[in-house]
Amino acid sequence: MTVAQNDAAPAAISVRNLDFYYGAHHALKDISIDFPQGQVTGMIGPSGCGKSTLLRVLNRMYDLYPGQRATGEVIFDGCNIIGPKVNLNVLRSRVGMVFQKPTPFPMSIYDNIAFGVRLHERLDRAAMDARVEDVLRRVALWPEVRDRLRDSAAALSGGQQQRLCIARTIATRPEVVLLDEPTSALDPVSTARIEELLDELKADFTIAIVTHNLQQAARCADQVAFFYMGEVVEVDSADRMFTTPREKRTQDYITGRFG
Amino acid sequence: MTTHTTTAAAQAAPCAGARWQGNSVSDIRRRMVDRVATALCWAATALVLLMLFSILFVLVRNGVGGLRWVTFVHVTQPPGQGGGLANAIVGSLIQTGLAVLIGAPVGLLVGIYLAEFTATDGRLINFVRFVSDLLLSAPSILVGLFIYMIVVVPSGHFSGLAGALALSMLVVPVVVRTTEDMLRLVPLAMREAAIALGAPRWRMILFVCLRAAREGVATGILLALARVSGETAPLLFTSLGNMNWSIAPGRPMASLPVTIYQYAGAAYADWTALAWTGALLITAGILMINITVRLGLGRNRK
Repeated sequence: MTVAQNDAAPAAISVRNLDFYYGAHHALKDISIDFPQGQVTGMIGPSGCGKSTLLRVLNRMYDLYPGQRATGEVIFDGCNIIGPKVNLNVLRSRVGMVFQKPTPFPMSIYDNIAFGVRLHERLDRAAMDARVEDVLRRVALWPEVRDRLRDSAAALSGGQQQRLCIARTIATRPEVVLLDEPTSALDPVSTARIEELLDELKADFTIAIVTHNLQQAARCADQVAFFYMGEVVEVDSADRMFTTPREKRTQDYITGRFG
Repeated sequence: MTTHTTTAAAQAAPCAGARWQGNSVSDIRRRMVDRVATALCWAATALVLLMLFSILFVLVRNGVGGLRWVTFVHVTQPPGQGGGLANAIVGSLIQTGLAVLIGAPVGLLVGIYLAEFTATDGRLINFVRFVSDLLLSAPSILVGLFIYMIVVVPSGHFSGLAGALALSMLVVPVVVRTTEDMLRLVPLAMREAAIALGAPRWRMILFVCLRAAREGVATGILLALARVSGETAPLLFTSLGNMNWSIAPGRPMASLPVTIYQYAGAAYADWTALAWTGALLITAGILMINITVRLGLGRNRK
């Protein structure tokens, strides 16, 4: 395995010798990878290769399910977050996640955003209004919804819902944002808007995005990791990864020979 | 069946010719099966509607005469002296209301446990679900006897509260089942999204899952209310019935179903007429509950 050294940015999250098991199934095998601060890390690889699994380790999502366990180290802010005695609610407010399918809560657009904020902060009315407006502006949804903040979020289109979910995630002011195939359920126009958004967001957040779309990885990511059968085969800058991959398996995958 | 390949010739010509006739044996057979099945569906629908409307028709014809002011303000009287159903109507409202107040919270909590705490011991969950389903299909007279044994006998007298407790035991399994079913319809992704924001589990359940399922859960509670408002057997040994005005939960209490049960078989014409009116009132009440549910759901869905 080769880990590219990225001298420019320190790692927001460092994964070291991580193993992950779904019951008896060994899904991640001795993974080590850095997520540089303020950069977009794209994670690519065939289905079932473990990229989404890694994402779900980074915010301890797997804790919801008995029989899933991780060993090794995931260092975030000086702490091994897969160790015991981690406050998961605090961790998840600092490492946010956006899912494949838009998941607006059954409440108004405003409350969708306020829900997460209220979990961690006590804001007065004006401050909450300002926070809601701020994040909706950042995801370029404000002009479309400013007059119907009290309407149900379910009435929004799929692309708008996904942008709302991103707004909801960044409203709790996380340091890291994880995105699990955030555009695979969206049309090309909505996809393009989300991709533009990622570019703006990386100024403030460290981003990890799982995608099946290699063009998307090439367009959005600064660093790309190629996963195969539970291993990280190669991590490199997006430019090098898609032009001069070092590993044969990476080359085969990005040229469509398998996967 | 053969697959019809569209050729250039077929595109140009109208859809005629041997291949478009569809007169092969299998085609004819398929069409006949279709017609027979459709006819059976219509017949079954018509039969059900016919039964429903004949019940409603008879109820209205026999019961509408009793819909007078005195029926609502006077209590039951000995035969031949007029009287109304005021004690039975109010008694029914009190007992079903109490039953839902007692039974619905229990049912909600059990339903939440069954749907949301799947990571805990599966055997306990299966056992609780099994018991709840048993209760759902238990003969309601047994529920009445049970409350008779554990409430009426120790306390030494029949009471409206005992009646409400018996009814609440019928409310619980209905609410458990609908709450669990409705919560299970909430997508896993929505739960994960709430957890991913750092929400503790109770907030996820209360403010996201229950909220997503609120229409179905509310429907379940109203269905339970509708179900127990017509129950007679659980009340016979518990609240007993009361010919006089009484709204004290600690004393025997009248109710519409028990009054209907007592009056319907009576030899007095005025009692039978009141029984019909009582039946019409219960039916209209249940209908109103159902319409409320529909209207409420329609508004929420917007």
